[in-house]
Amino acid sequence: MNRTLLSIRELSVRYSTPDGIVPAVNDFSLDLQAGECVGIVGESGAGKSQSFLAVMGLLPGNATVGGTATLGSESLLGCGIDALNRLRGARIAMIFQDPMTSLTPHMRVGEQIAESLVLHKGLSQTDAMARALDLLQQVQVTDARRRLHQYPHELSGGMRQRVMIAVALACDPEVLIADEPTTALDVTVQAQILSLLAELKRERRMGLVLVTHDLGVVAGVADRVLVMYGGRVVESGAVGEMLVSPRHPYTRALLRSMPRIDDDRTAPLTAIPGQPPSPAKLPSGCAFHPRCAGADAACRDQLPAMLEGRTRAACHHPEGAS
Amino acid sequence: MNLLELQNLKVWFDVREGWRGRRALRAVDGVDLVLREGEALGIVGESGCGKSTLARAVLRLVPATTGRILWLGRAIEATSVAEMRPLRRGLQIVFQDPLASLDPRMTVGEIVAEPLRVHAPELDRAARRAAVVDMLARVGLPAESVNRYPHEFSGGQCQRIGIARAMVLRPKLLVCDEPVSALDVSIQAQIVNLLLELKREFGTSILFVSHNLAVVRRLCERVLVLYLGKPMELAETDDLYARPRHPYTRALLDAVPLPDPALQPARLNATLGGELPSPLAPPSGCVFRTRCPRAIDACASTVPEMREFADQSSGQARSIACLRAEEF
Repeated sequence: MNRTLLSIRELSVRYSTPDGIVPAVNDFSLDLQAGECVGIVGESGAGKSQSFLAVMGLLPGNATVGGTATLGSESLLGCGIDALNRLRGARIAMIFQDPMTSLTPHMRVGEQIAESLVLHKGLSQTDAMARALDLLQQVQVTDARRRLHQYPHELSGGMRQRVMIAVALACDPEVLIADEPTTALDVTVQAQILSLLAELKRERRMGLVLVTHDLGVVAGVADRVLVMYGGRVVESGAVGEMLVSPRHPYTRALLRSMPRIDDDRTAPLTAIPGQPPSPAKLPSGCAFHPRCAGADAACRDQLPAMLEGRTRAACHHPEGAS
Repeated sequence: MNLLELQNLKVWFDVREGWRGRRALRAVDGVDLVLREGEALGIVGESGCGKSTLARAVLRLVPATTGRILWLGRAIEATSVAEMRPLRRGLQIVFQDPLASLDPRMTVGEIVAEPLRVHAPELDRAARRAAVVDMLARVGLPAESVNRYPHEFSGGQCQRIGIARAMVLRPKLLVCDEPVSALDVSIQAQIVNLLLELKREFGTSILFVSHNLAVVRRLCERVLVLYLGKPMELAETDDLYARPRHPYTRALLDAVPLPDPALQPARLNATLGGELPSPLAPPSGCVFRTRCPRAIDACASTVPEMREFADQSSGQARSIACLRAEEF
């Protein structure tokens, strides 16, 4: 039953800057199945967005991408712009954090949705507009017929994000990458958008990648979670294990530092000391060691290998190991 | 004496519409509030609910349209800029964007010393410098920070500088406008803990504006919920989170994602529909009725007043602006 849609192997992203080579992503691998949602969690500079911008061929000119990424039998990396343009928007689509800057301000909403249908599916403008209306209704835009002829600035933030999802879904992609899709939205609208994404994933058996910094966002939608730190995946596993009994000290610390609305509010929050590292100045060994309470000499000197267990954790001393 | 008291405070903005039309945008529309000394009060709600405008009006950064602002019993809603200046020593603010709220051409030492230069001119250079280094140490920054510039610091450290600048005058009231929203998750907890320590150590009152309900719960003793400029519910923190009584408070709490895969998928299915109506054309009657799952006909015609109740469990006073408050 399981069908791998997107397969990423040993992906790396390096930037050449005036200050030298900056590694943004190292050794990132992921297999995304049909009907599965994988949550990618990390703080700023962890490399979570960079990994998927690389897959979509959206990185600036000074970035070098290594490794492989395949969508079915098609290679996404180094396949040339024409081949990439046939896949992007048709079989793999991406939505972004800020729906205002990602929609074209001078095009009506309907035209933006119809554009990819005309381009990829060869629909006539009339048919494409009819389908656009259909899509707007599917993403639960109220008053859809009127919205077709409106410009992005006439819509609210939540409405714009729905339009962006409609644009992404126009050609029935197998894979949807959502990069912080709800970070700019209010909690009530965030819940609406997340519930919509979960529903679309179920109905279309789409592969969904949900990039976020919020473990709560992941909990409602994702089946699996990858936690990134300093450009690497430090832990991955099923959402039940990852949010309930993670093994990597960073995942554990991240969970503890997040206040919940149902915890003991008088207990002090366990903050993680220090700050997330900049990719330009990564610590030696395990990148988390300067902030880790259990770090020793091995952590400082050697990059930890991925250890199998309840979850896969890249740590010299994972929880649950003897 | 109450530190701060708001009486029917309204802040309306004049918005141009069409060729010559003008309309009032009611950002804050009738808020009554008492802030006690040493208390932390949270103001929550979705964007556009007027929470930042309310905080700014308290500091006279935006003018109040009508209503009264009493600071230590004295009306300050109409005082002149010159009369206001000595009072500002007791009223300080921390902003959301930590880097944008620091002057990039001033060193950290100059930034934190500036309030002292303005409000405590009797201090000489050495005394000022000592106070600055002392305050920086208190917020967790090394003494050598004084000669560095804001861009050399991370977001979390810049927020510490902003807090040091506000606290160096030992204000009675610290207004925090979304102070942790721009920070990474692991850094948010550091700043929340710092604010809790400062509050305990100096007895500072805090007016804490945030859309993050979990952070507000940690920091504040009481919480005011706003919707389209109107107060919906005001209660002790424990009462509000354990027993939300206004339908909007309930919807807001249900929408907060919990990092718990056993609970969260079901919570997502019970989400509040619709979006915030335009503040230029608020609904008649109760402003929340267009999204309220419990609205009845009367909600469209009657504006609900804030009415006081005793919490059924703690017995503490709480106010609810809902026609059906008795039923929930």
